[in-house]
Amino acid sequence: MTGALFAQSLVLGVLLGGLYALLAAGLTLYFGVMRVVMIAHSAFLILAAYLAWYFHETSGLDPLLSLVITVPLFFVVGYGMQRFLVSRLRPISLTTMSVLLTFAIALTIEGLLGFVWTGTQRRVQLGYSGTSIEVAGVSIAVVKLIAFALAAISLGALFVILRKTSFGRALRATTQHPEAARLVGIDTDRVAGLGFGLGLATAAIGGTALALDYTIYPSLHWHWIGPLMAIIVVGGLGSIPGAAIAALLLGVAASLLQVPLGTTWAQTVFYLALFVTLMIRPQGFFGGRLAQRF
Amino acid sequence: MPNASSPTAAPAPTRSGRPTAARVARIAGLLALVAVVLLFPSLAPDPFILSVGVVILSYAVLATSWNLVGGFTGYISLGHAAYSGLGGYATALLILRTGLDPWLALIAGGLIVALIAIPVGIASLRVRGASFVIVSIALVLILQLTFQSWHDFTGGSGGLRVPRPFGTEVLRPEQHERFFYLHAVLLALALLTWWAIERSRLGAGLKAIREDEDKAQALGVPTFAYKLTALVTSAFFTALGGGLYALWFGYLDPIFQFSILVGTYMVLMSLLGGVRSLFGPLLGAVVVGYAVEVFKSQYGDTQLHLVATGVLLGLVVLFMPDGVIPALTSFVNRRRRAASIREVSAEELANQREEAAR
Amino acid sequence: MTGSQGSVATQDLTKSFGGVRAIDGASVAFKEGEINALIGPNGSGKTTFFNCVTGMIRPDAGTVTYQDRDVTGLPPHRIARSGIGRSFQLCRVFPRLTVLENVLVAVQPHGLLQRLRGSRNAADVGRARELLARVGIDHLEHAEARDISYGQQKLLELAGVLMGDPHTIMLDEPAGGVNPALVERIADLVRELNAEGRTFIIVEHNMELVMGLSDHVVVFDRGRPIAQGTPAVVQDDPLVLEAYLGV
Ligand SMILES: Nc1ncnc2c1ncn2[C@@H]1O[C@H](COP(=O)(O)OP(=O)(O)OP(=O)(O)O)[C@@H](O)[C@H]1O
Ligand SMILES: [Mg+2]
Repeated sequence: MTGALFAQSLVLGVLLGGLYALLAAGLTLYFGVMRVVMIAHSAFLILAAYLAWYFHETSGLDPLLSLVITVPLFFVVGYGMQRFLVSRLRPISLTTMSVLLTFAIALTIEGLLGFVWTGTQRRVQLGYSGTSIEVAGVSIAVVKLIAFALAAISLGALFVILRKTSFGRALRATTQHPEAARLVGIDTDRVAGLGFGLGLATAAIGGTALALDYTIYPSLHWHWIGPLMAIIVVGGLGSIPGAAIAALLLGVAASLLQVPLGTTWAQTVFYLALFVTLMIRPQGFFGGRLAQRF
Repeated sequence: MPNASSPTAAPAPTRSGRPTAARVARIAGLLALVAVVLLFPSLAPDPFILSVGVVILSYAVLATSWNLVGGFTGYISLGHAAYSGLGGYATALLILRTGLDPWLALIAGGLIVALIAIPVGIASLRVRGASFVIVSIALVLILQLTFQSWHDFTGGSGGLRVPRPFGTEVLRPEQHERFFYLHAVLLALALLTWWAIERSRLGAGLKAIREDEDKAQALGVPTFAYKLTALVTSAFFTALGGGLYALWFGYLDPIFQFSILVGTYMVLMSLLGGVRSLFGPLLGAVVVGYAVEVFKSQYGDTQLHLVATGVLLGLVVLFMPDGVIPALTSFVNRRRRAASIREVSAEELANQREEAAR
Repeated sequence: MTGSQGSVATQDLTKSFGGVRAIDGASVAFKEGEINALIGPNGSGKTTFFNCVTGMIRPDAGTVTYQDRDVTGLPPHRIARSGIGRSFQLCRVFPRLTVLENVLVAVQPHGLLQRLRGSRNAADVGRARELLARVGIDHLEHAEARDISYGQQKLLELAGVLMGDPHTIMLDEPAGGVNPALVERIADLVRELNAEGRTFIIVEHNMELVMGLSDHVVVFDRGRPIAQGTPAVVQDDPLVLEAYLGV
């Protein structure tokens, strides 16, 4: 591999890793607050991408503007999903049943997308779609930069919300010790609902970013959920910094491997990392005390 | 389960000491089931219906096999299509590459897949349910990826033709009939295995894991080894199911072999029928399998079947997580039992008061 | 099992959860063949201590020995096999199994063939029924565990533990949440079982019960023992009073 190619792949890896990081943060957030493996996360991601595409098709405006609608919408949907569906499940089998429930939601979304917009591949065409900028011999597509910036800003915002606000403190308390959190007067049900909403909002942002740069089709979410789940296990279930680090590392690794191996085989790095993690350190590599028991 | 073969224990310790009339009814039901299966091929009006019968039996095999791990341990595998797909490919590749006899290839394929399930289980069963689910989905996704891309070995996305075990002189309807019975035999074996485990000490341990894994460990159940045993057994039967289906269908396409949807069907069927009962998955397979086939022939391959599957799964999870069979039996049992328990508690309370007064 | 061996003992046992030191360098030795009590204020680490001893959680540091063998870090089922049975603080039974099935779980011998043997064989069932009769809930054997009362579940849990024929029995608050008559019954059972040669380690907040029942008392505060001895000695220890009254 030449130096230039290496640099190019590295940059692309970091850019992709940023998007993975945001999405994985959402996924691990649900797990933290509710012990729920939210399979439908990436289906919502694709839904958001479709909404961005549709928004652009019908209004002719920049798909980024669709965020104004999708982010609050997804937040409310996430809150409702937790309060009205997930919370109905029996605590004894919550982890497994919630997987099935969110899985069912994923299938339904995929089916509805196909039904409404057919299985045809869709792509947003923008004035700046083909534009790229060149820095030190590395050329970067503008859309990828925008997507990365969007992901980085959102991840930063998420971090601030969790670290600096009282809601964030309540949420972290709920994550770490739900009973204790209840004892000190935190309404853990409400916090879990809001946490879910926050997680789904990341899917809305990620989906919009995705729509800028990718060809989308209804079953695309399966290509995302696999790597995302691998990332949160490697990072340690429930740990947001862990998820972010793992996402960047694996994103870069996949991008670098893509050159010698091709796209398909490069994808396997996520699964390999998942397997190795579970074999030698099931609780994940970066934090994630929770994971031991799940 | 009936306890007829137990050499001992005069008042058979079955649940709620069922009266013999109920046991007679059960045996009659079982015989009726066997009769229906035996007679179906001659009753089927045309080869198409017979082929639907084969498909439904195949689903029943897969769902019952899935239930060997899902029902006993409560660990939900969404990617069990990995094992059926591998079983199909292993069988086909063994025939094609080594010239092995198809039936030996089928069994060898099952064993190979059981071996593959061991490291998968080791990675995913040491911790609780979440990692298991994640690995199960990841497995089917990675296999789909691999088998689509690895042209030289698996035929890639172009698919793989599976040699027919019966010569060309055996006509289609006859093929269907033979495979119908073969699937029935495999189903019977899977059911028998489930039944045998259910009443064994291993089964007692597995069910305890499903109810409360910590508690089971504290009582001396080697939970990891037990879970692994269940998974490997399940993978073995699932692979046989996949292999047998491949021999009948004659063609493998990675998209359909390693399909999330096939795994979903297994879960949905088992859950709908009831994961804690022997015949639950079979019942679910008949209902869902039939619905799927009708849906396909009526509406073609639209996206609506995804929606239907998704909505049905969601409804079952939310409103009937124990399935149809347990819902019915527990309804009957509770009505019968409720009275007696209350009686006893009252009596006991009186005793306790007496004691306290002393 | 000879009386000269040590029972459960720990050396510098430590376990933290995040910032909380639940067990803080605890070195304790319980007495073989006796009824030991482990007491201490809420949150003093008693349950965590139980969990470390029985392998449910891995201690950060320190060792656990049982009958002079190091059992630190062994998986729970191995520790159960070595002869330690335990109950849980908030009584835990298998909700959707019948009372009889609940008790039968504890028979998990070595060897594949033994494990594939029918769980409802005469020998196992006979013993299970005997134990159910002993704790006084044999008439409920066909009920599902989730349907019986809390007190009955406590008795069921005890029967389940006994089915494994443990030499040492660790009970986490056996009298918590049950009526006084049942407390008496449980106390009698403990005495009987102890007379048969079984060692007990009991966590309990009911002081009357502890003082009446136990031969040896260990007092925990903030994750380490602050006093031990006979009930009478411990009762008068100023440190204990301080820990309990929070002076
Ligand atoms: N799984 C856990 N995660 C985080 N903290 C824990 C966990 N288990 C226990 N703790 C903490 O460890 C400390 C000791 O708890 P433990 O349950 O052992 O006390 P205890 O003596 O049994 O109390 P009680 O008498 O109320 O049962 C407490 O501060 C508790 O909050
Ligand atoms: Mg406690």
